[in-house]
Amino acid sequence: MYSRFYLSVLLISGLLVLAYLGFTAYDSFMPEWMSYQFEYRDYLTKNAKDDAAKKLARALPLEFTQVYLGEMNKVDRCTNCHMGVENPLMENTRLPYKKHSGNYLVNHPVDKFGCTVCHEGQGSATNTKEAHGKGHDTHWDTPILPLAYVQSSCAQCHDTNMLSKSGGDKVAKGEALFMEKGCKGCHKLKGVGGDLGKPLDKVGRQPIAYFTMKHIVGEHTVFNWLKQHFDDPRAIAPDSAMKVKLGEGEADLLTTYMLTLRPDEKPKSYRRINFNEPPVQNGETLYKSYCSACHGDGKKSLYDEVFKRTVPAIMNPSLLKVMDDTNLDKILKEGRTGTQMTAWKKTAAGLTDEQIKEIVTYMAANRPADRPEPFRLAEFKGDLSHGKEVYDLRCAVCHGTNGKGGEDMLGVSLRSKVVQKMIDPEVLAITVRDGRADTPMPAFGSDPFGMSKQDIADVVAYIKDFQSGGGK
Amino acid sequence: MKNETQDKEGGVSRRDFLALSAFATAILAGLGIMAGVFRFFKSDAKYEESRSFKIGKPENFPVGTATKLADKKIFVFSDDNGIFAISCVCTHLGCLVYETETGFQCPCHGSKFNMAGKVVGGPAPRGLPWFEITQDIDGSLVVDTAREVPAGTKNRYS
Amino acid sequence: MNETDQTGLSKFAGNVKGLANTFIGSVFRNGKPTSDKTRASAVFNNFFLHIQGVKTHINTLRPSYTLGLGLITFFLLVIVVASGVFLMVYYNPSVENAYQSVKNINQVVFAGKVSRNVHKWAGEGMIVFLFLHMARVFFTGSYKAGREFNWVVGIVLLVLTFALNLSGYLLPWDQLSYWALVIVANIMQSPKELTDSLGLTKYFDVGTYTGNLFLGGSIPTKESLNRVYLFHVMVLPMVIYVVVGLHFWRIRKDGGMTKPDLFNTKASDMGIMVQPKKSGGIFPTHKTYGLMELARGKTPAVDKDVENTVMSWPNLLIAELAVLMFTLAGTLIYSYYMDAPLKEFANPLIPENPAKAPWYFLGLQELLSYSAFMGGTGLPGLALLGLALIPYLDREQDNVGVWFTSKMGKRIALESMVISIIVIIAMLAFAVNFGWLRNWFPEIPQLVITFVNPGTIWVGFMMLWSLCTIRRTGSTRMGAMALFVMFLVSYLILTYFATDMRGPNWDFYWSKSQWPIH
Repeated sequence: MYSRFYLSVLLISGLLVLAYLGFTAYDSFMPEWMSYQFEYRDYLTKNAKDDAAKKLARALPLEFTQVYLGEMNKVDRCTNCHMGVENPLMENTRLPYKKHSGNYLVNHPVDKFGCTVCHEGQGSATNTKEAHGKGHDTHWDTPILPLAYVQSSCAQCHDTNMLSKSGGDKVAKGEALFMEKGCKGCHKLKGVGGDLGKPLDKVGRQPIAYFTMKHIVGEHTVFNWLKQHFDDPRAIAPDSAMKVKLGEGEADLLTTYMLTLRPDEKPKSYRRINFNEPPVQNGETLYKSYCSACHGDGKKSLYDEVFKRTVPAIMNPSLLKVMDDTNLDKILKEGRTGTQMTAWKKTAAGLTDEQIKEIVTYMAANRPADRPEPFRLAEFKGDLSHGKEVYDLRCAVCHGTNGKGGEDMLGVSLRSKVVQKMIDPEVLAITVRDGRADTPMPAFGSDPFGMSKQDIADVVAYIKDFQSGGGK
Repeated sequence: MKNETQDKEGGVSRRDFLALSAFATAILAGLGIMAGVFRFFKSDAKYEESRSFKIGKPENFPVGTATKLADKKIFVFSDDNGIFAISCVCTHLGCLVYETETGFQCPCHGSKFNMAGKVVGGPAPRGLPWFEITQDIDGSLVVDTAREVPAGTKNRYS
Repeated sequence: MNETDQTGLSKFAGNVKGLANTFIGSVFRNGKPTSDKTRASAVFNNFFLHIQGVKTHINTLRPSYTLGLGLITFFLLVIVVASGVFLMVYYNPSVENAYQSVKNINQVVFAGKVSRNVHKWAGEGMIVFLFLHMARVFFTGSYKAGREFNWVVGIVLLVLTFALNLSGYLLPWDQLSYWALVIVANIMQSPKELTDSLGLTKYFDVGTYTGNLFLGGSIPTKESLNRVYLFHVMVLPMVIYVVVGLHFWRIRKDGGMTKPDLFNTKASDMGIMVQPKKSGGIFPTHKTYGLMELARGKTPAVDKDVENTVMSWPNLLIAELAVLMFTLAGTLIYSYYMDAPLKEFANPLIPENPAKAPWYFLGLQELLSYSAFMGGTGLPGLALLGLALIPYLDREQDNVGVWFTSKMGKRIALESMVISIIVIIAMLAFAVNFGWLRNWFPEIPQLVITFVNPGTIWVGFMMLWSLCTIRRTGSTRMGAMALFVMFLVSYLILTYFATDMRGPNWDFYWSKSQWPIH
């Protein structure tokens, strides 16, 4: 009799270990990339032009290859599958061994640049799923960039001037859109911009944990978040106050531009940025960058669905008529507390005094030559109760009973701090008298309303009295 | 002693089969793991530059020039017969040789080589290797330091 | 001259001829283990085998008695050490490169992923099997009759195993390990809670010291990684080798494995023993009676081995080899199906939510959520102390080597299990539903919460119940039984509870699948 029990355990376990070793050996010696290398070699052999080429193709070693980029402390193993990426014979074949499109690789040889420099993804991985960063379990903050956004990587080393001319048009267009659509009115970039939205520095390289991915359709990636957020901000982040009006394809361009905003991580020897030509900025471009998102073209006041308030028409001639440059300058610099209007001075949103002056000059171009007829409010003594009568009759329709404005009201809230503290009663009176052209605010001083100067003075007194709690 | 001689006569009986196969699988498994261990130490994750690299177009190496590519550790020569690349790593113990009037000289242990890389003095066991040069599709020359060619192999490239 | 030369040369030639035999003979001095005498000397003359007895009791060989648990734990340690050495070949302990080197191990290194998985699961398997082994030793009463100190050594091994697992958990420098590091550092400095509430921190800041000892600073940095690496690959392994050696040596010196006083061989024992033929075969036998087998025996009798023992060679060695292979196969197969986790690169600005310690510490983390000091230092310290003291407080020597001692023991174990399950679940349910003292009295001093929280109440209950059992049964063994069962059950339930039912923000969820995903 033998120790049957233990010997059986030994035998069965030993067989299991052997079977396991067999499986692992097979897995290790036939990795995913090996089959692509086989196909590649077959293709080359089949399509060889002459015998010498055929012989060379047959001798092609099937082996593990990698591009080590010392300066970037990085290793790319993409060429294990993407073997023909530099081979012009592979122009019309299929992925993964297809030749790289365009002539990008002429100036960016794979052995110096690798692949993930532009395409992102996980270059050190050796199977598709991990290399491309697909699926949440690969836990990778930089999944492979879809081709629509891949140009965003160019901006790590090239400036927009260069990109707009050759091969980086999407970045250039995206940047132009970014400046035009007034994104910086709410978002800070390099310390300049409003603070209603989140700063955008390095947003292209932020880990996905920074983003609310709950409502994202498809892969939870930063670019999907950006794209879908541009398509419909409130579908992705329900409490977002962002306004976007984008045309066809513009969301992709903006996403591309957003993805260019990465930390400066590439070694200097790789970078080709020409810093000598700062982008041209004048009053108009500045206005577009910083003001247009809320104020539009500034000619008409707009009721803002997201802010739930009316945004004033700041380039309206009749407004400019009552506001001189000093006044505008002050408002731009200090902002308007209690509203979304940002303080743009250097220490807050980061615009220089010169830039603010440029914007003021640009706005003032619309100012009519004639100054408004002064009102001389001091000559009248306001009567509160009469003022209330006039207010309820004329103003409450748009500005709300007791001036509280509010949702769905055409007029701004007259109880707001801005109106109460920062607007001179004289300006208020002139506005009531002359109205604001191109906005719903009519001129009450003339027909068909025909309010007398006394009426106006009374209503101004009534409105100003809100400050001390009157009119409730 | 008597007992030990008796041992030798027992062959493998059927009752030993379980024991034998169990020990055989155990030994095989051990050997398999050992093989895996040896393979394990052969590194696949290499942090070194590729051994095959482009050195530029042939016109960068006009006839009669000698170029030292220090970062790639090769000399590239061009003469009437063609272009050739010679290693500047001494075959003795791996120091880097420098050029002299008559050839190469190793600073470490005094090995001397002539212009063709042949040993003319010192402890070096063999001449400096010549590396294969091929021409890429875009026309630039590619040196592969993993592939040696016989000394004296010179080719013209256009 | 000529003659002597020739004789010398022929002598030399003879030596060369016999080189293989003499060399092997010098290594294995006993020759082939063909008789009981040579088998005995094969064991005690061999450096690697001499820690075992020459003869092994049949009870030790019975799989139903030891279940091989201690040996499995030891072989897991061997596997862990071997695979750990492989990992060290490619692992790079620096904040910049650690993560990428672990990725490399997973992605390109030959059998790297396997090595990593094996290392991970064998390491965590050690914890599981250590607990099982401890339970086996406890329930068979094997901490008694001279083995008291070895039980304490075992507790030290438990602590070392925890420390090794934990330090390894922190090395990949991914989100999991970084935030576990943060949590563990906070557990380490949990004495601060007590000194703070006593107002002693100014004079005696032991919490900050232990936290710094571990982190090399106040936050996890490359300094911390260095320390953890040092602990993981050098300090702790060296200590554990010595302590494991001590543990094994004590088993022998304390009289070997325990066995019941009334031992009878059974027919099924034939299946676990080698009963060689008188001649031939690969385990031939020739009975001789050497001094070494008479030395310990009381009733030597022809054809019956001393006190139901059999020769260790080959009986015990086959059993051990089988357990080794079984452990190896189990680890490999488990590693084939389960990958060791690796998350994204550590980001100090984005905490994992929930940030959890490794699973074997989650029971503590649950207690920690009531009071950092009690969960981190107080209760685990108390539990370890209590475990270590069991053999000294229960000194009854009856029925050692019998599972659960007696029928009553089985009943007490079952009873304690049911009671502890009910009580601990009820208490967790209470704490989840109604909160704890601070929810009712927001101004309550921290000191009160430190000493009155579900954790302390549970431990108090365990002690009380154990004392009641002693009083009721009149047996300290029964009290220890109740205490130990309750300890195991609470460790299990708390671990499960904190692993699966504590989601983001440490909120309660019925299962992991209900966690809101961000």
